[in-house]
Amino acid sequence: MSLFRSEDMALCQLFLQSEAAYSCVSELGELGLLQFRDLNPDVNAFQRKFVNEVRRCDEMERKLRYLEKEIRKDGIPMLDTGENPEAPQPREMIDLEATFEKLENELREVNQNAEALKRNYLELTELKHILRKTQVFFDEQEGGSSATESMTRALIPDDSIARQAAGPVQLGFVAGVILRERIPPFERMLWRACRGNVFLRQAEIETPLEDPATSDQVHKSVFIIFFQGDQLKSRVKKICEGFRATLYPCPEAPSDRREMAMGVMTRIEDLNTVLNQTQDHRHRVLAAAAKNITNWFIKVRKIKAIYHTLNLFNLDVTQKCLIAECWVPTEDLEQIQLALRRGTERSGSSVPPILNRMDTLENPPTYNKTNKFTSGFQHLVDAYGVASYREANPAPYTIITFPFLFAVMFGDLGHGILMASFAAYLVIKERTLGAKKIQSDVWNIFFGGRYIILLMGLFSMYTGMMYNDVFSKSLNIFGSNWRNNYDESTLMNSKALQLDPNSTAYFKYPYPFGLDPIWQVAENKIIFLNSYKMKISIIFGVFHMLFGVLLSLWNHVYFRDRLAIMCEFIPQIIFMCFLFLYMVLLMFIKWVNYSADTIDVKAGPYCAPSILITFINMVLFKSSKNPDVCDDWMYAGQGFLQKLLVVIALLCVPVMLLAKPIMIMRARKQHQPLMNAGHTNNAAENGDAGYQLDDSMQQVQPVPAHHDEEEDITEIFIHQGIHTIEYVLGSVSHTASYLRLWALSLAHARKSP
Amino acid sequence: MLGSFFNIDGGYLEGLCRGFKCGILKQADYLNLVQCETLEDLKLHLQGTDYGNFLANEPSPLAVSVIDDKLREKLVIEFQHMRNHAVEPLSTFLDFITYSYMIDNIILLITGTLHQRPISELIPKCHPLGSFEQMEAIHVAATPAELYNAVLVDTPLAPFFVDCISEQDLDEMNIEIIRNTLYKAYLEAFFAFCKDLGGTTAESMCEILAFEADRRAIIITINSFGTELTKDDRVKLYPKVGKLYPDGLAALARADDYEQVKAVAEYYAEYRALFEGAGNNPGEKTLEDKFFEHEVRFNIVTLPTTVF
Repeated sequence: MSLFRSEDMALCQLFLQSEAAYSCVSELGELGLLQFRDLNPDVNAFQRKFVNEVRRCDEMERKLRYLEKEIRKDGIPMLDTGENPEAPQPREMIDLEATFEKLENELREVNQNAEALKRNYLELTELKHILRKTQVFFDEQEGGSSATESMTRALIPDDSIARQAAGPVQLGFVAGVILRERIPPFERMLWRACRGNVFLRQAEIETPLEDPATSDQVHKSVFIIFFQGDQLKSRVKKICEGFRATLYPCPEAPSDRREMAMGVMTRIEDLNTVLNQTQDHRHRVLAAAAKNITNWFIKVRKIKAIYHTLNLFNLDVTQKCLIAECWVPTEDLEQIQLALRRGTERSGSSVPPILNRMDTLENPPTYNKTNKFTSGFQHLVDAYGVASYREANPAPYTIITFPFLFAVMFGDLGHGILMASFAAYLVIKERTLGAKKIQSDVWNIFFGGRYIILLMGLFSMYTGMMYNDVFSKSLNIFGSNWRNNYDESTLMNSKALQLDPNSTAYFKYPYPFGLDPIWQVAENKIIFLNSYKMKISIIFGVFHMLFGVLLSLWNHVYFRDRLAIMCEFIPQIIFMCFLFLYMVLLMFIKWVNYSADTIDVKAGPYCAPSILITFINMVLFKSSKNPDVCDDWMYAGQGFLQKLLVVIALLCVPVMLLAKPIMIMRARKQHQPLMNAGHTNNAAENGDAGYQLDDSMQQVQPVPAHHDEEEDITEIFIHQGIHTIEYVLGSVSHTASYLRLWALSLAHARKSP
Repeated sequence: MLGSFFNIDGGYLEGLCRGFKCGILKQADYLNLVQCETLEDLKLHLQGTDYGNFLANEPSPLAVSVIDDKLREKLVIEFQHMRNHAVEPLSTFLDFITYSYMIDNIILLITGTLHQRPISELIPKCHPLGSFEQMEAIHVAATPAELYNAVLVDTPLAPFFVDCISEQDLDEMNIEIIRNTLYKAYLEAFFAFCKDLGGTTAESMCEILAFEADRRAIIITINSFGTELTKDDRVKLYPKVGKLYPDGLAALARADDYEQVKAVAEYYAEYRALFEGAGNNPGEKTLEDKFFEHEVRFNIVTLPTTVF
């Protein structure tokens, strides 16, 4: 039974010895069958009993995250064996903490050293670049001094005259390195602050440098600024500081520069070896950590989860044991008992834990057991809404209906094979693929739904065979039952010819399986298929909906809700049958009664009625107008019967809308006084079994947890109104929506060639 | 009609904004926070709120400054995110909000350099919302004119600064004057901008800005007693957008002591209430506190109606 309904749940009280609680909860956690209730909802997160342990776990997680970040930075692969380590004992927590602490400190120290070294290295490389680039500037200055002079003269003639008079002026300069993107504002600011009295040259450093703090690659530029006088010098330096440019000493004499460059080169080489050693050390530390890190993460998370759970528990007066309340599937009580016993043994406690069933009026949670095959479908259903406790679970039926309806749209044997083989690959390889833990969203959708896709593919193969469609080509397995009965000259001279089913062209019996391949070459294939698939879609749709309504009957019977059967189910099924099932019936009548190979005109193709028009006329109470040779109706008494059906179906709407709330109202009024007098058995007369049950319970326990039945009468009316509107409009619009099966199938057929 | 196009530009940010508003700590959260005994408790409680794990990567023990920094970082990230997704006129509006932080930063840096503090020590104290490219080079300037010509001319603050250009040295007094002149120009520009926008923005923002203007006028007046600031100079610092403008400001300009300022406030119901019970004795709330309280209450009232 549990396949079709959610599990039978029981509220249990659990008494755990303080010292055994940890390992018991750990065992229960591995089982994953319990839902614990928070017994101290009023207590703050930081005032709970095990908050310190949770905090320690937080701290461990932080350290692990830091390690993980560093490992990722170095691109070391993290070993993931896919194994599931047990939650460590509380005393092991200290060991773990110590290990992480040591690792973190070591890593931080290494990082600090590496950063200092890198900073040093960066400075030296920058200096190297400065020396190299400024060489070019100085060379230009010396080689082409006449050119610069003429330029200055042209721009500021007065100044140059003065300079010539005073002889060559000693220009000061600073050289440094700045981030490339900061150059434009830097230049602007220099110009403004020094009123154009400085000369800036810059050259880009081609290779990106590594920022030691963030280890990002940054592009930088070398600049050199020439100026005159001390005041300008201090100002330029201030601006450089403001723009985070690093200034380096740069000797003026070319020989000094060369010497310095040599020195820098040797120091860079020394540093490089040291840096490599640091890097190696860091790599070794991280590689060792990378082997265990996934395991550690799981362990720490498990500890944290256990303490979180323990925080939900109540402490009893003697402080000796913890009290927990949990929802348990009654079927699995055995397993839980076993797990508890294992936990107790592991902790070495002598007192066994006690599991008590409690009576409750509360609505238990819905729990559907799934396996790897059904879980995809269950998720699909849960995405639309979770059924109430013990309600029929639609997921098992979805296993067939969902892939089938998909296949109606996707009917193509070839595409179906592709799809099924892809899904089959996923299913066969699920163990290895699942262990890989691929993070991509799209992949996870496909992988999670692999069984759905497999079924969709298989069903598509079936419908593809029915449609006789393989990559939009037909298979002629049994040989077409149509043949060409025209002679050669007619064939050569006409563009299109018609094959009359009422002639020798047709063998008088259909193709044994699915669609005749002759349709593949027919001009009117799409028109023929449209009419066929449209009808098929509606037929499937109506039966699908009827099945859904029948499921509600099963629910009502299960909950002994006679009122709902009378006032909801029966009018619903009448409404559905009298309108839509009748339409489906008309389709079958048309298929059976009208045919091409008959002499009677009234049963021939000329007089075959359009079902859609007939149905519209039926609802609008119009009589159909047919040509004189044909009958107005498909069978005798159709006009009267149709009117009757529509009237009854429409009468069902107010019944759906009002009957149940009015009955509830009457029932309440009647037994209100009776209840006061202490008679509860009269309630049965109201035809409301559920009511009586509940009321008697209320008598037993004066303060029930939930007053579901006591909800306001107006609320019931509104609820019922919404429900009715949804059902009536829904059944109409859903019928139309099922046409989408045809539409998408058409789209698929049209797109694929 | 206007509403039907709103979502094109503002839909995403509107959603974000509502989300942020819901993320603000509630009274119940504060009741819980009051019970915290250590910063660790605080961290644990905040994990359950929208602040989430913003402290998760901080090693214990926590310091107050770390929390402060992290909170500010969060604010700045969220603000920048909204600014990056904003289109006109919201982008200008958000820019206007940052201008006041820029003014504060400039004043902080100038004051710092005046006291011979190294710039690297001052930069971390600046509010990141008000940082701009040329900010760190601010100590080049020795006079307001230089400050304008070298640093501020490229920033959006340039139009506000035009009134402050003079060749005087930057001393304590001048800095205060610059701050207040900048603020006055800023408030007036912001006010005009909001008024131009019209609608709900004008309704709520103009109220807030008017209050801010009045508060500044009153505080400037009170602080100017006993300094060498002349009455004429003082008048120039009053932002001309508040409820006090023009009669109240004229009266304030004539005021010579605290009592006279109080007398001016008597004419305005909301400010009278603020002056009552304000005092400098310990245990009493100072006038500034009272103003701050009023501002907060004011902002809460206008918050739900402000649609950016």
